[in-house]
Amino acid sequence: MSQPETGKQPAPEPLRIGVFICHCGLNIAGTVDIKELVEYSKTIPDVVYVKENRYTCADPGQDEIRKGIKEYKLNRVVVAACSPRMHEATFRRTVSEAGLNPFLFEMANIREFSSWCHPSTPKEATERAKDAIRMAVAKARLLMPLQTIEVPVTNKALVIGGGIAGMNAALDLAEMGFKVYLLEKSESIGGHMAALDKTFPTLDCSICIEGPKMVDVGRHPNIQIIANADLLKVDGYVGNFKVKIRRNPRYVMADKCTGCGECKDVCPIEFPNEWDMNLGTRKAISVPFDQAVPLIYTINKDYCIECYKCVDACGAREAINFEQKPEEIDIEVGAIIVATGYDVYLPYDMPLLGYGKYPNVITSMEFERLILAAGPTGGRVIRQSDGQKPHSVAFIQCVGSRDKNKYPYCSNYCCMYTLKHVVQLKEKYKEDIEVYVFYMDIRSPGKGYEEFYDRAREKGVNFIRGRVSRIDEDPKTHNLILHSEDENLGVPIEIEAEMVVLATASIPKKGSDELARILNLTRGADGFFMESHPKLKPMDAPTDGIFFAGACQGLKDIPYSVSQGSGAASRAATVISKPTWKIEPIVSVIDESKCRNVTAKCGICADKCPYQAIKVEPNKPAQVITASCHGCGTCVAECPQDAITQMHFTDAQIMAQIRAALEKDPEDKILAFLCNWCSYAGADLAGTSRFEYPPSIRAIRVMCSGRVDRDFILEALRLGAGMVLVGACHLPYDCHYISGNYKMKARTDALKGMLEKLGMSPERFRVEYVSAAEGVHYAELIREIDAQMHALGKEKIKAENAKLKPIIENMLKRKKQ
Amino acid sequence: MPLKTVKKDTADTLTLEWILHVKNYKLTLDKARCAGCQICSLACPKEAIKVEKQPKAQGEKAKKAKVDIDLAKCNFCGICDITCPYGAIKLTLNGSHDLSVLAKESYPELVRDIKVDTRQCPKECDDCAEACPLGLITVSKIGFGGKPVQNLTALTPSERSRVQINLAIQKEYCPTCRVCEYKCAPGAIKVRKFMEGKISIDQSKCPEGCTDCLDICPITGALFLSADGKVQVNELFCDYCGACKVVCPVDEALTLKRTRILHTPVHSGAWNKALERLTSPVDAVKELKATGSKKAREAVCKRFVFEEVIR
Repeated sequence: MSQPETGKQPAPEPLRIGVFICHCGLNIAGTVDIKELVEYSKTIPDVVYVKENRYTCADPGQDEIRKGIKEYKLNRVVVAACSPRMHEATFRRTVSEAGLNPFLFEMANIREFSSWCHPSTPKEATERAKDAIRMAVAKARLLMPLQTIEVPVTNKALVIGGGIAGMNAALDLAEMGFKVYLLEKSESIGGHMAALDKTFPTLDCSICIEGPKMVDVGRHPNIQIIANADLLKVDGYVGNFKVKIRRNPRYVMADKCTGCGECKDVCPIEFPNEWDMNLGTRKAISVPFDQAVPLIYTINKDYCIECYKCVDACGAREAINFEQKPEEIDIEVGAIIVATGYDVYLPYDMPLLGYGKYPNVITSMEFERLILAAGPTGGRVIRQSDGQKPHSVAFIQCVGSRDKNKYPYCSNYCCMYTLKHVVQLKEKYKEDIEVYVFYMDIRSPGKGYEEFYDRAREKGVNFIRGRVSRIDEDPKTHNLILHSEDENLGVPIEIEAEMVVLATASIPKKGSDELARILNLTRGADGFFMESHPKLKPMDAPTDGIFFAGACQGLKDIPYSVSQGSGAASRAATVISKPTWKIEPIVSVIDESKCRNVTAKCGICADKCPYQAIKVEPNKPAQVITASCHGCGTCVAECPQDAITQMHFTDAQIMAQIRAALEKDPEDKILAFLCNWCSYAGADLAGTSRFEYPPSIRAIRVMCSGRVDRDFILEALRLGAGMVLVGACHLPYDCHYISGNYKMKARTDALKGMLEKLGMSPERFRVEYVSAAEGVHYAELIREIDAQMHALGKEKIKAENAKLKPIIENMLKRKKQ
Repeated sequence: MPLKTVKKDTADTLTLEWILHVKNYKLTLDKARCAGCQICSLACPKEAIKVEKQPKAQGEKAKKAKVDIDLAKCNFCGICDITCPYGAIKLTLNGSHDLSVLAKESYPELVRDIKVDTRQCPKECDDCAEACPLGLITVSKIGFGGKPVQNLTALTPSERSRVQINLAIQKEYCPTCRVCEYKCAPGAIKVRKFMEGKISIDQSKCPEGCTDCLDICPITGALFLSADGKVQVNELFCDYCGACKVVCPVDEALTLKRTRILHTPVHSGAWNKALERLTSPVDAVKELKATGSKKAREAVCKRFVFEEVIR
């Protein structure tokens, strides 16, 4: 792995900067005076060549750049055109084609940030464009050549969770030829689907369709199932994860157990079977269900009395070993798929529904085990109170879901499984059963789902729109009286039912927080894992090389889980199918001679890194795991010694941009630091949408607001900036780098307090959150800040600055050395 | 998961329940029958039972220890039920008292070997019923024609000679203390204790005036107060339950050892462990040696190293 050079000025030869100014047809040239820009650019020191183009991004325009580099021996290139978010990659390619390192290129945004947003003030727009070019040249002077980092990739994958999503992901990857480890917490793979009776809307038997898949997974030569195991630790980075797993003892040796079940027959002890929602029991040595994969028996030592009858029954096979210990397994993989699924909420804390109090109030998952032919009752739907078949069953929807006090989200599939249950009941018991469904809305937006709803209605099921407020029990008959409102009739109703089934919310899997910590994932407000982008990267975790499948990312039914499993497999394959993985070299580099951790206990950088990409050991300089570094620059801003540098966004480069921006009339200017992913994009959108705002702003792009060093703001104020703005992604979850915005907030909150104490008007330094979609908000914001600047007046700002300057200069002293 | 468990502690009973949809496991401790001995807590394979000594109020008699069962640890195996000398614990599955550990021969039944020859019974005698400290014996007299006889004196001598004596013993609650055997003058009852052992009181350590053990001993006559005001043991009646040991305030004043337990033949690790705890590893090895269970014997030795005992 090649480390980027921390180097000082790398090029010994004199700077030869070429500036290419784009007309973009009339998009730029229609507002900005290109002639003036060209003339001005020629006056900037170190600029040896200036060229204007109608369309720089078109082939002739790119040719001009290549030609310029060759003919004029340019060693830095600045293109003043559109947003770097648009064409930075294009021009980097262009300069590298001409033999120049692609990172010796810089863009000045004079379209989205000038011509498009200031059409009615062409003179000021031109001024802003000039400043943009000057800032770009200032940064270009300090650019260093960088090499794209390549890391080797382990061509194996780990799938966490053996439910239907995880199984599909594992199978697809295995079929592509990759070795897959399938980690399962419980004794068997299969997940929730293996516990279901039928699947909607086709009513085919769940285990009949999942069973063969489980067998396929179990038999596949490329898949190794590690069941009854926990994930302990994950180290490393994309392409190179080191995973530690603990396999818990079954007290039955996997290689010797034949799955015959003779041990089970002689075992005297039974315990409640969680797989059966504790409706029935299983033996102390048993498999959770007959189709379990891997078919290895497990002794539950919590219940076993160690009579060793099973040992006798096992006989010469000698598969039982009471001395078995937990076993730690270390594996190396290139990609990880998280498919941990969900849990079912048990409404013990909703006393008005009587769950846990009245024996005939059950959850849908319990109902599922009752109606299942292989279940504890052999498929007979019976009441717990008397063992009799109920003549009337009421289903209640959205128990816990869509409830502001519990789980505000919709659990996605409850409507459909309730429809399945009512159809099953009606088809099984015909006229002998009366069925009620209390619902808020029936949501049936899948393929064939609405038709299934029709089928339920045709069966004569009573659908009542209303939320059940209370359930009472008749103490003699154990029948239940439901109090609700029929919203369609607008009257309160009371219905007596012999059994009540609650469609309870599905909730994030227990242990998600622990997993999030191990894998460095983020969770949304609802507790499910956050994807990298809700629309375009729905399967990618923010950490490279980790992907999501199934309900752990958000609740989804079987077909969607299956497709996401396959999707995650293909995303993982994009990593592990390559021999190496390329990383943009805009990573952090630590100057070991400056690192304070050598002499004192520091570790601030490791603490602030959202990706745990920095390792700190006592008395040693901190180490950046380059492949894990995402290049947000938060550590750089946090380092009290300025020992860390973010390549391509160095302190010196950004300081040069600040100084260039504030060269003339700083009191009239708003200096803004915009994060690349949200606020810069939002500002771009303001331009693209032609929202006009005052041209007093000068913007500096950083990858993340977390990069905005305290010193940048101080330097801006020292130079006399009128206003300072830091634009970031919205709190709490929008940050592209997980939590850079929080780190920036903590830092700037402290700074703001200090500046105000020193006599600065509070409105002069602002932190604002602008998303990539908020062009309007951005334009309004700049108008507001501009108005505030004028309201304060140049004189007041100057006076404040004069007061601040000596103090700041004192603070920045160490910077100047 | 929605396992419904119940624990009810009333003045008369302690009830533990697993209420599953199709199965109901229920464990009931009859507090009147419970002697507060250690047997169940020693036999329990899950260490779910605690025997707690009750505080003694000034001037009052000692109270028997309280048995508490941990619902989270109990696995409803019924071993306590089988082992309780007083039959105070009952485990039922869906109301039936058939224990799976017995059916699968994972645990033995205790042998309460009580032989009664009613032919030797004098017609007017019901000494055994009066003597039984737990009131488990009912003597009924059935006259010619199968009718129960209330008043023997009202009968003619020939009728009297035809009266049949019936002795009903509630065996499941019987600790085989042999009090009835001793009190039966004609020797109609023969009882073999199912627990054998040794009990002694170190008079030098036994505190003056303390009768705690005597107060709680369920067997009348097993402990008695001698002329010097000290408690003495009558080993003849002792059933070695250890209730006295639990309440004894001085550590080494009372020594109690169980050495053998009479039970139906069984080959089970659970029993071996229970036996070890109820008697001692040495005694357990003796039994294993007698039954020739080599493997289990080795297992015990591995844990305790008693090479010399085995050889």
